[in-house]
Amino acid sequence: MAAPSIPNLLSLRGSRGIRGHGRGRGGHHGPGRGAASHDSTIQGTDTDAAVSRLSAVELGYLEDPFAQYFVSPDAQITRRLPIINRGTFVRTSALDRLVDQFLRQHVFGESALAGGQIQENVHNAQIISLGAGTDTRAFRLFTSKGRKWNQGRDVPPYELWRNSIVYHEIDFPRIVEKKLATVRQTSSLKEALPDPNLEQADGSWKSCGRPPNGSEFWCHGLDLRDLSRETDLPRLDGLRTDIPTLLISECCLCYLETSEASNVIKFFKDRIPQLGIVLYEPVKPDDPFGKQMVSNLAARGIRMPTLEVYKEPKDQEDRLRAAGWEVCCAYTVEKAWEEFILQDDQQRVDSLEGLDEVEEWKLLAGHYVIAWAHPSWDMGMRWDDNDMKYY
Amino acid sequence: MSDLDKWVAQLRACRPIPEADVRELCHKARELLIEEGNVVTVNAPVTICGDIHGQFHDLMELFRVGGDVPDTNYLFMGDFVDRGFYSLESFLLLLCLKVRYPDRMTLIRGNHESRQITTVYGFYDECLRKYGSANVWRYCCDVFDYLALGAIVLGASNTLSPASESSAAQEYADMNLEVEVCNADGVSTFQFPRQSRSLTSSSDPQPRGSPNGSSSTAGHSSPATGNKTGPPGSGASGSSGGSVGNPAGAVLCVHGGLSPLIQTVDAIRLLDRKQEVPHEGAMCDLLWSDPDDIDGWGLSPRGAGFLFGADIVKEFNYKNDLSLIARAHQLVMEGFKEMFDASIVTVWSAPNYCYRCGNVAALLELSEDESGLGVFARSNGDVSRSDGGQEKGRPNGFDTLEGPARRYRVFQAAPQDSRGMPAKKPVADYFL
Repeated sequence: MAAPSIPNLLSLRGSRGIRGHGRGRGGHHGPGRGAASHDSTIQGTDTDAAVSRLSAVELGYLEDPFAQYFVSPDAQITRRLPIINRGTFVRTSALDRLVDQFLRQHVFGESALAGGQIQENVHNAQIISLGAGTDTRAFRLFTSKGRKWNQGRDVPPYELWRNSIVYHEIDFPRIVEKKLATVRQTSSLKEALPDPNLEQADGSWKSCGRPPNGSEFWCHGLDLRDLSRETDLPRLDGLRTDIPTLLISECCLCYLETSEASNVIKFFKDRIPQLGIVLYEPVKPDDPFGKQMVSNLAARGIRMPTLEVYKEPKDQEDRLRAAGWEVCCAYTVEKAWEEFILQDDQQRVDSLEGLDEVEEWKLLAGHYVIAWAHPSWDMGMRWDDNDMKYY
Repeated sequence: MSDLDKWVAQLRACRPIPEADVRELCHKARELLIEEGNVVTVNAPVTICGDIHGQFHDLMELFRVGGDVPDTNYLFMGDFVDRGFYSLESFLLLLCLKVRYPDRMTLIRGNHESRQITTVYGFYDECLRKYGSANVWRYCCDVFDYLALGAIVLGASNTLSPASESSAAQEYADMNLEVEVCNADGVSTFQFPRQSRSLTSSSDPQPRGSPNGSSSTAGHSSPATGNKTGPPGSGASGSSGGSVGNPAGAVLCVHGGLSPLIQTVDAIRLLDRKQEVPHEGAMCDLLWSDPDDIDGWGLSPRGAGFLFGADIVKEFNYKNDLSLIARAHQLVMEGFKEMFDASIVTVWSAPNYCYRCGNVAALLELSEDESGLGVFARSNGDVSRSDGGQEKGRPNGFDTLEGPARRYRVFQAAPQDSRGMPAKKPVADYFL
């Protein structure tokens, strides 16, 4: 129940002035708004996510020294309500854990040793993060010194990585340019991604120096929908098609039209035989909470076309199955809290802030799903402690 | 026009009153509340309401649906503040009405009527924003410390009076309803007649109809709920004594629920309540606990209070001659939820909670027992009347008193355009 500082909830309410006489963000959002306007609204959701991440970090839910650099210092207030902080924690932790498991298997795990020989500095796995925005996962991964930042489980320090990875981020040119500028300005970000260099006019850039563990980092500035075109496909420099790859969409593909979203997945699936995927999206638009969510988001100018098609967690599994994966799994965030998060961490998080929103938590967390699939992951993706022995 | 009436008028328009007036109001309120016991005695008829959470426009809707003060006798079970945008106006209006009509308005304390919780969940910031200083927040918190911890409703009838004036009273009496659900316009959407005890199997330990079925108009018991005979969301058990006109047992109203440290209603009366809500102990539990489908007591996921099962409720009700516990504290999508053979009910009065949850709200009406026997006929938990459960405690087979007839009025969030703010506005947070 600790309230270490008096929060100011003003920021939670957007730019609204006192007593509701304010202006909504971005003025009136009508159905006739242009696509460009929708795009910029969607880009705004990244700011939302960055603020939520920083809130969770500052209150001790997550450890992420990089989160602070992606929230504008003008944003006076960053504290979110406990229910949102918990959601941010679960979502980030669950995805971290899936990424870890993937890396364990292909970078530090047994299959990385399949050839019998440990080869230094061979890129044995690849991560592609769609709509990454201000995401800090690459920084955390590349600087991991074996600190306990993930569920109380250590990630091997990068010195121990047997092999390194190729990391791609894809987002709108405007967003990746901004990220480049932030990295250039911030020494600890540059440490993780040395010598960031603009590669193309579209804002694409890469870390030209070698990130600490010898991995490679690319940041591509493009509209994902371009990947769903039939012809004239954009090139993705540095994309490897011959190594195990994990495609991550953390609340990104849901903003695309369903067919575009499918085509984006297909783009990678067609080219990379060993492709895995992790999706994080809202679900259940039809119950009272879901209806209200759809209408509240619409009031912010946010539309999620895939939500209308993949309504239930099971639909997300079916979606991945239809895209060509045999073994798929989908957990709601609520279930992820129950089953992914270790008891110690649950207790730790419970002790950070009182959660007087238990029913609301179940509602909210029941409306987001994490779905994943990979051709060579174990059946069922059990998080049993046995697969944690990577040292 | 007295100051009070002026304040009421201004607050009804959702306009805060000046700081000096808040101070005076809070002072008056405290003088009034200090005289109340920890457990206030309220006579039926009464309309019982759950959490409000600063949703001022929905509170106005509640008054429209339930009747205005002082025409309707109200009992609010706490959580007036936090989460919504108008905690200040909502709480001060209720407080004004309390001071203006002390006998027609009962306010008991919720877990959000606390300094600590209001700093996290919005009321503190709202005061700061609206007044530029924390003074008003302090005045209000001082009042919180004096709010009663619970209430006992006496003299509730086990028959319903008509929901609206168009129905004939005799017709209602003939139907002998145990539970009726009405919509916001007073139209009955569900009626459940009281049945003789012999018709149903003896007390079924399962909560009935949880959660409240898919809609409150879903008709009689669905096959999935077995021999449940009540309407969706109600625990109407049919297990009443059946004789029309007898007064029902007393109803205990408390924000959260029971405490392992509290065996009797009298024990609540002995607490020293005039303080900030403690982190643990009986007072904390009364404001924080939740009923759950468990046996005995359990740890609460909220980190304060406990979970308690049907056995706890039935034993407590039996020992204290209660027929029902009414409580709030938990969001229920259908506005109300009866559990444990209708021995406890959750009433939730904040529609579309946090402008995000999409739920409906409800209030619970208990009508007056016309025989006039209600107040005196029973050892019904009034002060010094319970025997502390010492003699009657039996390990099994607690006979539940016949519950009062209950009318739930279900209502939705006030229309957006009545809120005095742009209809399309980012309000609720999501994970994006």
